[in-house]
Amino acid sequence: MTEPPMIHTVPPPPPPDGRMPASNRFVGVLNVLGVYILVAALFAIGPLVSPAKFLTELNLLSALQSVALMGIVAMGVAFITYSRHYVDLSIPGIMAISGVVAVWALKFGFAASMLAGLAAGAAVGVVNGLVVGYLRLNPIIWTLAVASVLSGLIRWVYSGQQLYPDERTSAGWEFLNLYNCQILGKPLLPAIVLVVAAVAAHLLMHHTAYGASLKLTGSNYEAARLSGIPVRRVVGLTFVISSVTSAAAGILLTSFNKVGAEYVGKGYDFMAVTAVVLGGMTLAGGRGNVIGVLGGVIAIALMTNVMSLMRIPPLHIGPWAFGEITIGTFWQNIIQGAIFILVVGINSLSLRKAGRDDS
Amino acid sequence: MTPDGAGSFLWRSLLLAHRWRVWILCAAIFGVMGAVAPHFAEPGNFANIVKGAGTALPAAIGFTLVLLAGQLDLSVGSAMTMGGMLVMGLAPRLGWAGALAVAAAAGCAQGLANGLLVSKAKINSFIVTLGTMLIVYNAMAIYSHGGTIPAPKGDFTLSDWLQGPVVGPVFAPRPGQSGWAGAWLTLWLTPRNFVAIALLAAAWVVLRLTPVGRGFYLLGGNRQTAWYSGLSVDGYIIGAFVISAGVSAFGGAMVAMSEAAGSLEVGDRSLMTIVAAVIIGGTSMEGGKGSVVGSAVALVALTALTNGLDCLGAGYEVNLMSSGLVLALVILYDAIWLHVRRRKLGQRKDLLAELTRSIS
Repeated sequence: MTEPPMIHTVPPPPPPDGRMPASNRFVGVLNVLGVYILVAALFAIGPLVSPAKFLTELNLLSALQSVALMGIVAMGVAFITYSRHYVDLSIPGIMAISGVVAVWALKFGFAASMLAGLAAGAAVGVVNGLVVGYLRLNPIIWTLAVASVLSGLIRWVYSGQQLYPDERTSAGWEFLNLYNCQILGKPLLPAIVLVVAAVAAHLLMHHTAYGASLKLTGSNYEAARLSGIPVRRVVGLTFVISSVTSAAAGILLTSFNKVGAEYVGKGYDFMAVTAVVLGGMTLAGGRGNVIGVLGGVIAIALMTNVMSLMRIPPLHIGPWAFGEITIGTFWQNIIQGAIFILVVGINSLSLRKAGRDDS
Repeated sequence: MTPDGAGSFLWRSLLLAHRWRVWILCAAIFGVMGAVAPHFAEPGNFANIVKGAGTALPAAIGFTLVLLAGQLDLSVGSAMTMGGMLVMGLAPRLGWAGALAVAAAAGCAQGLANGLLVSKAKINSFIVTLGTMLIVYNAMAIYSHGGTIPAPKGDFTLSDWLQGPVVGPVFAPRPGQSGWAGAWLTLWLTPRNFVAIALLAAAWVVLRLTPVGRGFYLLGGNRQTAWYSGLSVDGYIIGAFVISAGVSAFGGAMVAMSEAAGSLEVGDRSLMTIVAAVIIGGTSMEGGKGSVVGSAVALVALTALTNGLDCLGAGYEVNLMSSGLVLALVILYDAIWLHVRRRKLGQRKDLLAELTRSIS
């Protein structure tokens, strides 16, 4: 029995996957450059806003310093966001407890104090990592509970009092000068820690086996688990990494404030995730990179700086007269919130246009 | 026969206890505090607990609704702040009713913005509501010049009425009568509590008994299925955000009116409690599972816990720590429960029995 003759022509094979080709050039450019477009725009606006002040070394240095600590925290948070676990809301608690423990341990010397502070923060990170990574609890709710417990614990142990380093001892004096210590004649330590953290984060996330497993875990948890990646350990470690960077930032912030207290670090969790998401790392996980996150940090620094330099001169429009307008902190926050939503919106739109929206 | 129905008496009673866990937690807190804390089990103190829980109840209802629909609304706290500020700021010009209406409408507008950004612009709700929280809070800080707005001319008439007995002088207790019956009339049945309870009842009826309410569960349970069954997914998401921010603003306005001042801290302080209560109340972060009554009971339990600790002389720090611990324990329990239940279901004794019967 012979085969019946083929009368149907074979239809052309479908494209390898259902994605639309990234034909939109505008979107393609946006994807590659991401947040650095915003950074460039701010650099262009800066001199227009304040020709005398913006491009001075002093101004740019102070802009960098104002976000260095938040940037250090963001480098750690990036790992959590990359693994699709949103954010660690216990960061303010970790920053506070590492600062308080560091001040307490000053009596054993400066080096011991630093180690104790980092260890205290890392201990919280280990607990978070075990619970979220291994027991698979919801990260937002668990870390919210931890934040509340830590905040209460610090208040309870020190009965609401603040903890001052003793500047008569050499360790105490060193601790108080840590934030402002002179490197090349300038108080550069936070910025240097930020750069070191960024380089380390970049290498770890994009050039190691751990980083590769993290990318797969963040992109598709189940696929990563089935391909033999120890997903629980990978996710757990992100919380430890984040807690160490938060602890470092917490110690520096405590040195800057010259006091260890429960409120140190308040708001840093949301600021850091703002920078991370602004830098093109989506909450859907496995997408984005450390260079983008650094761009997000720089963008926030420049945005705040430009807005605080901005002076709108007195205006007379018809019968109305406006006095000189400056942009206060509240307005800066409002504009930042709006830009945050806008940038993430453009980012998710461009991903959708390119057919790569997986959130 | 469902796998749940099978099993030993112990397993069945465990299931029953699990179903009523929020109520058991609440009863346990009341029992322990009543036994150890001085002045806890007194009518006046119970009225305080009801009042305290009622403060955050509207926002907790809104938060539950958004969570049921599978989204997150971090801006309920700032909506509360906005409601309180606007009602105080606008009352001199618009009167109380007008100001209250504008405050609630402003909340709805905030919710509409959230809903449109989430459903139409397809931005993650965590991001959107984080942004609107920041924007609304700072806008209110500008509106109030960074401080509080007192009631017009320091007028406490409305505040007293809202917190006074609702039934009027007819049933008012005679002087010296301080029993539970008197407490019910004078302290518990205040207009302020009435509004909170009415909101809760309305939310329960809509969510349990109407097709629209069941739609929220369907949407949160599986968005794809909801869309296939003809549900207007975008409409439901927008609706959830509008109701959430609207009732939060209304609740914040009620708080401000009964305290005769609008304050910036109201929302900030409440957000943590609201999230904790809704999660403890059994609403799932994944959506599609939970109830407003659970949230309300958990809110009462948390308020009773902090109130009892206050009675014991513990300060704010112990309150913070203990509500965090309760939240941590409850979600740990949930994880363990899920594990036990999966193992139990994996055994499938009934299925095995059926199989052997069909083979033999």
